[in-house]
Amino acid sequence: MTAIQGEDADALSQLYDRYNGILKALILRVIHNEAEADDLLQEIFMEIWNQAKNFSSQKGKPLGWMVTLARRRAIDGLRKKQAYARAEERLQNETEQQPDAWVHNATEEEIVLSDTRHLIQKVIAGLPPAQQQAIDLAFFRGMSQREIAAKTNTPLGTVKTRLELGLKKIYDGLKELRGEL
Amino acid sequence: MNFKEFQNRSRLYVIGALEAEELEEFEEARKKFGKKAEDYIGECYGLHEAFALSLQPAKSSAAIKNRLMAMVRTRKET
Repeated sequence: MTAIQGEDADALSQLYDRYNGILKALILRVIHNEAEADDLLQEIFMEIWNQAKNFSSQKGKPLGWMVTLARRRAIDGLRKKQAYARAEERLQNETEQQPDAWVHNATEEEIVLSDTRHLIQKVIAGLPPAQQQAIDLAFFRGMSQREIAAKTNTPLGTVKTRLELGLKKIYDGLKELRGEL
Repeated sequence: MNFKEFQNRSRLYVIGALEAEELEEFEEARKKFGKKAEDYIGECYGLHEAFALSLQPAKSSAAIKNRLMAMVRTRKET
């Protein structure tokens, strides 16, 4: 990130190679459209380039900063294009399968990321389905508690409790994982 | 709001799930707890990274990177 802050284009190229798969997966999870996800991915990396000077390592890791930025852009994009209805339809038609994995031979870094993914998935999978659903709708769809309550036909207080309990379990689980990651 | 409650709200805050009325109360507590609050919120943003890392990476075409790098290099030149 320091090199990117110094406008080193090769550093951006390396950052792209390292994280484009993760950010694209995140964008796809929000907007469920391959072509729009590609366009947004490009815009997000351009924003990373333009906004790099605002990144501070004291406030967190580069990936966290990029994910926050990508999620915000993806949710904004979803809202601006009023694509909720279309995304909803696609979401219902899709299986729960995640996008295809990279097909080339895994590098050491990818293997580490893969291990990380499995550990985090294990923490999330340990939550009751209702908590997983509430968190999924809030994080990946940008829904408010009221919107989640309406969508799932659940009392608002219950949604709040599900989010609080679920997020706490994940947060605590991640703290325990830090030693393993 | 005590700090434990603030911690619960912080996790909702970072994923944008606080309702407007809760947000106001949260911001007041954030000021009250000062640096301790900011540090905790910073830690909660780790949830973003974790949710992204829980997904299987997706492929993107080489054309995207080529376009991006061309744009970056053009901007650098101008």
